[in-house]
Amino acid sequence: MLLKELNILLADDDTDDCIFFKKALEDLIIPTNLVAVHDGEQLMDLLMNANNELPHILFLDINMPRKNGFECLSEIKLNDKLNHLPVIVFSTSFEQEVVNSLYNNGAQYFIRKPSEFLKFKEIILQSLTLVALGDITQPIRENFVLKAQ
Amino acid sequence: MVIENEKKNSDKKFFANKELVAQDEEKEKRSAELTIANKELAFQNDEKEKRAAELVIANKELAFQNDEKEKRAEELIIANKELAFQNDEKEKRAAELTIANKELAFQNDEKEKRAAELVIANKELAFQNDEKEKRAEELIIANKELAFQNDEKEKRAAELTIANKELAFQNDEKEKRAAELVIANKELAFQNDEKEKRAEELIIANKELAFQNDEKEKRAAELTIANKELAFQNDEKEKRAAELVIANKELAFQNDEKEKRAEELIIANKELAFQNDEKEKRAAELVIANKELLAFTYVSGHDLQEPLRKIQTFATILLESENENLSEDGKYNFQRMQLAAGRMQQLIDDLLAFSRISTTELKFEKIELSVIIEEVKAELRDTIQEKLATIETTGLGSANIIAFQFRQLMYNLISNALKFSNPGVQSNIIIRSRIVTGSQLNIEKLSSEKTYCHITIKDNGIGFEPHFSERIFEVFQKLHGKEVYGGTGIGLAIVKKIVENHNGTIIATSELSKGATFDIYIPAN
Repeated sequence: MLLKELNILLADDDTDDCIFFKKALEDLIIPTNLVAVHDGEQLMDLLMNANNELPHILFLDINMPRKNGFECLSEIKLNDKLNHLPVIVFSTSFEQEVVNSLYNNGAQYFIRKPSEFLKFKEIILQSLTLVALGDITQPIRENFVLKAQ
Repeated sequence: MVIENEKKNSDKKFFANKELVAQDEEKEKRSAELTIANKELAFQNDEKEKRAAELVIANKELAFQNDEKEKRAEELIIANKELAFQNDEKEKRAAELTIANKELAFQNDEKEKRAAELVIANKELAFQNDEKEKRAEELIIANKELAFQNDEKEKRAAELTIANKELAFQNDEKEKRAAELVIANKELAFQNDEKEKRAEELIIANKELAFQNDEKEKRAAELTIANKELAFQNDEKEKRAAELVIANKELAFQNDEKEKRAEELIIANKELAFQNDEKEKRAAELVIANKELLAFTYVSGHDLQEPLRKIQTFATILLESENENLSEDGKYNFQRMQLAAGRMQQLIDDLLAFSRISTTELKFEKIELSVIIEEVKAELRDTIQEKLATIETTGLGSANIIAFQFRQLMYNLISNALKFSNPGVQSNIIIRSRIVTGSQLNIEKLSSEKTYCHITIKDNGIGFEPHFSERIFEVFQKLHGKEVYGGTGIGLAIVKKIVENHNGTIIATSELSKGATFDIYIPAN
């Protein structure tokens, strides 16, 4: 069964993380098309441009220059055109307050960036699978944080 | 013939004289009887006067002896009536004597007329009879004598009449006096009755007064006893007052000493206050320095995470892609490097948590403990499933807590309970809470007046020796080698710090392989 190609937008200023992400996608069997931006302003410009087709899914880093992940998430969820876009938040650290705040602001999932590459790939696959299956409604709170098995 | 006539006349005269003499004798007898009767009356009158005087005395006597006097008064009335009756009889007799005297006076007048006729006849007879003349002269003299005597008797009768009237008057007076005495007696009798009634009333009044008197005497006796008691108490109080005066002097002396001491203390206090201020300044400086240090720990820890993660990730990529090109020794060294990186990651995580609970704002809110525990259970879901652990929660209420810190606390304790579970025994964790007053607990660090939220986390894991119950809360203290049970030794230090941030206390109780119990007490309000 040939899966429809998924358009993925990645917002992360860290070059290494972008490499890991790209490498992970290459190893996956799901056909994907990755676009990467490196700060919040770039992200919002891209999304607000009417000429651009919206991606199927956005992976959003929190710590970015110019406009951080929190600000971007709020703008997206307050925008009628964008608020249905599934946003998966990526972060190195895990802080419960931050996680709660993201959930309340309408993020789809939270992923703590794993230190093992295998787990990294696994969790990317997990999130893409969920979105590909059309599950874009916000899960219950206890399922909000995605983890590798 | 003439001589014979003369003889007849002389006889007639002789018989007439005899008759006169007889009449005179009768009159004398009668007069003597009257005299005796009068004397008798006079005597009786005297007796009556004496009797009246006695009656006055008797009446006076009767005034005091009422009944006797009334009887005597009645007798007097009867006696008086008898006297009155006798007086009437005497008056009648006197009246009869008066009439008899008047008859005698009339007869005397007639006799004087006859005597005058006889003088003429005698003068005529002088011639005829000297004897007759002499006798006639003697008769005249005798008649004169009788007339004189009659006059005397008449005078005496008149005197008697006057004397009788006087007696009658005196009798009337005495009757009046007797009647007055009767009235006086009745009055006295009435007064006597009144006085008797009054006397009876007075007797009753006297009895009442006597009763009151007895009562007053009893009261007086009681008061006397009470007075003695009061006098005794007064004496005691005076003694006490004297003692107090002495005690007061002693106290005044002590007071002076204390004032001197107080002045010294004031100076010492000022010195201490100055030193205290200095120390507070120093403490404030230290608090700032400490916060800076913790903030530095947090920031550095946070920033260290990312390069470490990248090292780890690249290591895994390298190990995966170059696995075939590595020698066995190279693979082993690679694994050791990854383990070390893993421990470093754990250490950074724990240090971040430790510094976070010291630097972030302490925001207390009323939160259901079950919400916190459910969040922690969700976070630890995989481990719980892996260990087939059960977590029982009973009677969980709400508590006034700093939410993210308390979540960290629960996470650390529950993850510890899971980590130190007994191999081969299904892990069972029991969490419960209740509200208690400090006085029920008898724990040194807690106020007996406050109410506390008491939360218990009890497991059936490997436990620890009782003497480690305090040491386990110190930073970097571990009871097991890192090869057996991983960890940094910061987890329970964080727990203790969080409990202290909540102004509470935590007590660990355990025996080796008999599970561990953590009791947390935080103020309920």
